[in-house]
Amino acid sequence: MASQLIREWTGIQQFPPATQTKLIELLGKLKQENVGTLTILVMGKGGVGKSSTVNSIIGERAVAVSAFQSEGPRPVMVSRSRAGFTLNIIDTPGLVEGGYVNDQALEIIKRFLLNKTIDVLLYVDRLDAYRVDNLDRQVVKAITDSFGKEVWRRGVVVLTHAQLSPPDGLNYEDFFSKRSEALMKVVRSGARLRKQDIQDSGIPVVLVENSGRCNKNESDEKILPNGTAWIPNLVKTITDAVSNGSRGILVDKKLIEGPNPNERGKLLIPFILIFQYFFVVKRIQRAIKSDMAKERKASWESREAYRYEP
Amino acid sequence: MASFGAQGQLFSPPLTPSLRPRRRLASSTPILKAGSSTPANTIKCDLSSSSSQNPESLTPKKPFFSLAQALAFSAGAAGILLRFSPVTPLVDIGDFSGGGGVGGTGDGGFWSRIFSPAAIAKDEESQEWDSHGLPANIVVQLNKLSGFKKYKISEILFYDRRRGSVVGTEDSFFEMVTIRPGGIYNKAQLQKELENLATCGMFEKVDLEGKTNPDGTVGVTISFLESTWQSADKFRCINVGLMPQTKPIEMDADMTDKEKMEYFRNQEKDYKRRIDKSRPCLLPMPVYREILQMLRDQGKVSARLLQKIRDRVQKWYHDEGYACAQVVNFGNLNTREVVCEVVEGDITQLVIQFQDKLGNVVEGNTQLPVVRRELPKQLRQGHVFNIEAGKQALRNINSLALFSNIEVNPRPDEKNEGGIIVEIKLKELEQKTAEVSSEWSIVPGRGGRPTLASIQPGGTVSFEHRNIKGLNRSILGSVTTSNFLNPQDDLAFKLEYVHPYLDGVYNTRNRTLRASCFNSRKLSPVFTGGPGVDEVPPIWVDRAGIKANITENFTRQSKFTYGLVMEEITTRDESSHISPNGQRVLPSGGISADGPPTTLSGTGIDRMAFAQANITRDNTKFVNGAIVGERNVFQVDQGLGVGSNFPFFNRHQLTLTRFIQLKEVEEGAGKPPPPVLVLHGHYGGCVGDLPSYDAFALGGPYSVRGYNMGELGAARNILEVAAELRIPVRNTHVYAFAEHGNDLGSSKDVKGNPTEVYRRMGYGSSYGVGAKLGLVRAEYAVDHNSGTGAVFFRFGERF
Repeated sequence: MASQLIREWTGIQQFPPATQTKLIELLGKLKQENVGTLTILVMGKGGVGKSSTVNSIIGERAVAVSAFQSEGPRPVMVSRSRAGFTLNIIDTPGLVEGGYVNDQALEIIKRFLLNKTIDVLLYVDRLDAYRVDNLDRQVVKAITDSFGKEVWRRGVVVLTHAQLSPPDGLNYEDFFSKRSEALMKVVRSGARLRKQDIQDSGIPVVLVENSGRCNKNESDEKILPNGTAWIPNLVKTITDAVSNGSRGILVDKKLIEGPNPNERGKLLIPFILIFQYFFVVKRIQRAIKSDMAKERKASWESREAYRYEP
Repeated sequence: MASFGAQGQLFSPPLTPSLRPRRRLASSTPILKAGSSTPANTIKCDLSSSSSQNPESLTPKKPFFSLAQALAFSAGAAGILLRFSPVTPLVDIGDFSGGGGVGGTGDGGFWSRIFSPAAIAKDEESQEWDSHGLPANIVVQLNKLSGFKKYKISEILFYDRRRGSVVGTEDSFFEMVTIRPGGIYNKAQLQKELENLATCGMFEKVDLEGKTNPDGTVGVTISFLESTWQSADKFRCINVGLMPQTKPIEMDADMTDKEKMEYFRNQEKDYKRRIDKSRPCLLPMPVYREILQMLRDQGKVSARLLQKIRDRVQKWYHDEGYACAQVVNFGNLNTREVVCEVVEGDITQLVIQFQDKLGNVVEGNTQLPVVRRELPKQLRQGHVFNIEAGKQALRNINSLALFSNIEVNPRPDEKNEGGIIVEIKLKELEQKTAEVSSEWSIVPGRGGRPTLASIQPGGTVSFEHRNIKGLNRSILGSVTTSNFLNPQDDLAFKLEYVHPYLDGVYNTRNRTLRASCFNSRKLSPVFTGGPGVDEVPPIWVDRAGIKANITENFTRQSKFTYGLVMEEITTRDESSHISPNGQRVLPSGGISADGPPTTLSGTGIDRMAFAQANITRDNTKFVNGAIVGERNVFQVDQGLGVGSNFPFFNRHQLTLTRFIQLKEVEEGAGKPPPPVLVLHGHYGGCVGDLPSYDAFALGGPYSVRGYNMGELGAARNILEVAAELRIPVRNTHVYAFAEHGNDLGSSKDVKGNPTEVYRRMGYGSSYGVGAKLGLVRAEYAVDHNSGTGAVFFRFGERF
C-alpha cells in the first residue's frame, strides 16, 4: 500500500455539486465512525464493466478501459484521499476464461490482496444479461472459497448497464427485481449461504450506468431509468455495508492458502496411533489367534492323541 | 509296493522282498498267520522342485513351479495298498511314473496281477518248457511229478471240499496262490507253493494235484478244506509293532496229555501277556462296530471271515494314509475274542540326508534344524507313519526353496521289526547364482528414424547368494537398465538381505528380518485428468531408499510386518526434469507449471523416514477351487518427523474382504465349487502431512473398476465398497459386481486440490459383469458417472 501513491481525490470535483455534497456527507459520516480508509474490492466476470464502475466512482479515468479487450491481467488499486479520508478501490481482471473460472487470475488477485483489508466487495454483473448459469455460480463460489463466507456480509451486488428498456414490455422495476432475484439465488448457492444468513443481512443490489449517454436529472446527476441518482446511491449502499456491524476481511496468508489441512489434527496423531494399536492391531491379532485355534486339523494330525480301546 | 513320483523322476523301488522266517504254527493252533513276509513296501514321496535336471542351469527356480508339483504329487496318494499275498512283482514301474508326472498309482494287487505273469513269463520264455510225458487226462499227485521237468500250467482250479465246488478266481482265497496259469514251474516250486498254502493257516487241509493235458501242459487242481474256529462275539485290535515275535516252541510229539495241557496253558498265558504289553490301535470305534457286526452275522469264525476282517482293517488304515500299516496275525482264535494284530508302522528313526547331483550321500550345507522345523511332529520318532504327514513335510520343505529334489521315503527298520525309518533325502540347490540377461532396444532417433546411435543395449544383472551359513539367509541383488551406456537414465536396482529364524532356529516363533535397498519409478495417479480432460501431463514418482522390516508369520497366510523406511522421493515430468508442481493444460492450450505441489517440501525432492506396520489376517481357503473365508489387512505408515519439512503423519488403511460361501457343497476333486458372494471395503485416511504422492487415488482396477487409475480423484480420506457375486460355470466362474468409491469430501484437504484442478468428480460408482478365463478376467464395466460401458481384460484377481 505504501508503494502506491495516494493522490488527492480531485475527481470528486468533476461530479455535479449535488453529488459532491452527498458524497462528502456520506464520507463525513464514515469519518465520524472512525473509518478513515475504505477499501473496495471489485470482482466479477470479464467485460461486465468493473473498470468503468471504478472510474465512475473515482470520477476520473483512473483505470484503462477497453471495450473489446480484457483489461490487464493484474489487479490495480486506485487510492484517493480527500480531507483525511482515503478511498482504495481495487479493480481486478475478469475471473472467467474459456468457460472456466481462471484459477490463475484468482491466485494473482489473492496474492495482490495479501495483508490488505477488504471493507466492501462489489460483485459486478450486467443487468441486461437475461440468464444466470452455472458459471456465475462458479465465480461466486471461487470468491467465497478465496475469502470466506464472511465476505458476503460486506458484499454489494452491482448491476451495470442499468439503462435499458426491458424486453417484451416488462416493467423496468419488475425486470430489475427478477434479474436481481435470479442473481441472488446464484450468489446464495455459490456462497453456500443459508436462507437465514440472507434474511439477517440482505446483500444489497445496486444499479449502475457507466455510459456517457446516461440520463441526467436537473442537477446534472447521472440517473437511472427509475430516476435515482446512482453514484450517491452506490456510495450510500457501500457506506451502509461498512457500518452494518460486520468486520472487514483481512486477507492474510492463512486466508489465501486456506486452512492448512496438513496441520489439522497433527497433535492427535499419538492418540490415533495408540488407538490403532489397541483397537485395530490387537483386535486383528486376536482374530488370527482364534483362527489358529479353530483351524480344522486333518484327521491324521489329531488321531494319535486318542486311541479307542474296546 | 506302491510308489509315486513326480515330474520325470525315475526310480525303482527295492525289489527284494525280505522273506524272513516268521512263526509258523500248525493249522490246529489257534493262531492264524496272516502274512508271510515283512512289509517290503516303499512309499516314496518323491518331488522334484525343478523341471530341468541340468546341473549347469543357473536359472533361479520359480517358486510357483514347485507348488504345482506339490499339488500334482498329492494326486498319487490314494492307492497305496500293502498286499497280503507274498507275491512280489518283478516290475520296474518307474517307466510309468516317469511318463505321466504322477505315476505308480493304483493298488499293488492290480499291478501285480497285470505284470507278474508277464514278467515271469518273460523271465523264462527263452527256456523251453517240458512236456509232462504222460498219457493225457490222468490225475497225477504232486509227488509223482518229475523233479527234472519244467511244467507249463494250463489252468488252476480251486476246489472247496466243504462246499464241494470249484471256487472262482474272484474268491478271496485265490489271491493266496502265487502260481499263475500259463506259467512254467518245476516240481520244487509247486511243492513250495503247496507248503506255503498249507502253513498259511487258512486251510485245515490242502492238496495239489495235476491233470495232464494232451498238449503236454498240466492243469492244476488245488483242493482245500477251509479252517474254522468257534464263534466269537468280541473283537480287539492291537498294535504289535516293535514287539518281538514270540518264539514258537516246537510241540514234542510224545508229550503226555498233561504236558500238552501245560503247553497250551503256557501258550495262552504268553499270548495274554503279549496282548497286555501291546499298545492300542488307532482303529476308531465305528470300524470296531462294523467288524463286530461281521462276527455276529457269521456265526463261526472262518478263514474267509478273517480275510474279510483283515481287508476291512487294512482298508481303513490305508484310506487314512497309514500306508505302512498291516495286519500280521489273528490271535486268540477258538476263544470268544478275535485278536487282530496290526503293525501300524511306528517310526523308529528319522533320517535326513543330503545328496549331491549324482545321488551320493554328502554332508549338506543346510543346517538340520532348518529342515527339522518344517516337519510335522507326526513324522518324528514314536508316531505312526502317515502318508499325509509325509506330504505335508514335502510341501513345507519345498517352500524353503533350498532344494532341487526332495524325497520322503519310509523304509522298514531292519533292526526293529515292524518299525519304519523315515528317510528324507535332499538335493541342495546351488548356493550362489548369477544371471545376466540383455536386450537391445532401438529408440527412434531424429525424425523418428532409428539410427545406429539410437540402438541401446539394456538388460538385467542379478545375483543371489542363498542359504548363507546353512540357515536359509540370503542376499539377492539385481540391476536393470534399458541403456548400459547411459545407465543413469533409468536404473532400477534392488538389494535385499533376508534373515529368517530371527528368534533362533529352534524357537517356534517364526520371524524373518528383511533389509533392502530399492528404487522404483511409477506414474502418479494423482496427476490424472477426469473425464473429458484430455491429457494431463504425467508426473513420475521416483522413490529410492532403504527399508528394514520384521515379518512374523502366524499361519501360512496371516502375518504381522513392522519396520522402518527411509526414502527419497523425486517427482519428475515426462522429460525427467524435476517438477515441484503438477502441470496443467490451460484453456488456451498452453501448459502452466503451477498445478498442485508434488512434494511436501515444494522442491520436487522429499526425504522422509517413517515406520510402517502391516497386519494381515487371512483365513481364506479353497473349497473346490473357489476361495472362501475372510481377509483383513490393516496398514499404518507413521511419519517420525524426520525429513524434509519434518513430515509427521499417520497414514492408515483398513481393508476388509469377505468371501461368503452361498451354498454348502461336498468337497472333493472334480466337485463343483459353490457360488460365492464377495464383500469388500477399503478405508484409507491420513492425518498430518500428506504429500500428493501419498494421497489415496480413486478409480482403477483395484479401486473402482470401470475407471482409469486415479480418474475419480486423489484424496486424504477415501472409502471404497464393492460387492461381487461369483457363479461357477463349468471349470471357471462368471461374476457380477458393483463398486463405489468416495473421497468423503476430503479432496480439498490435499494441498493444491488435485482432484478439482484436474476436474475430477471425487466419487464414482460402477457395475458390470465378467468371466474368468484362466488367469485373465474379461469384464464389461459401466462407469456410472458417464453411463458408458467398456470391456476390460485384466490379469489376476481384484480381491
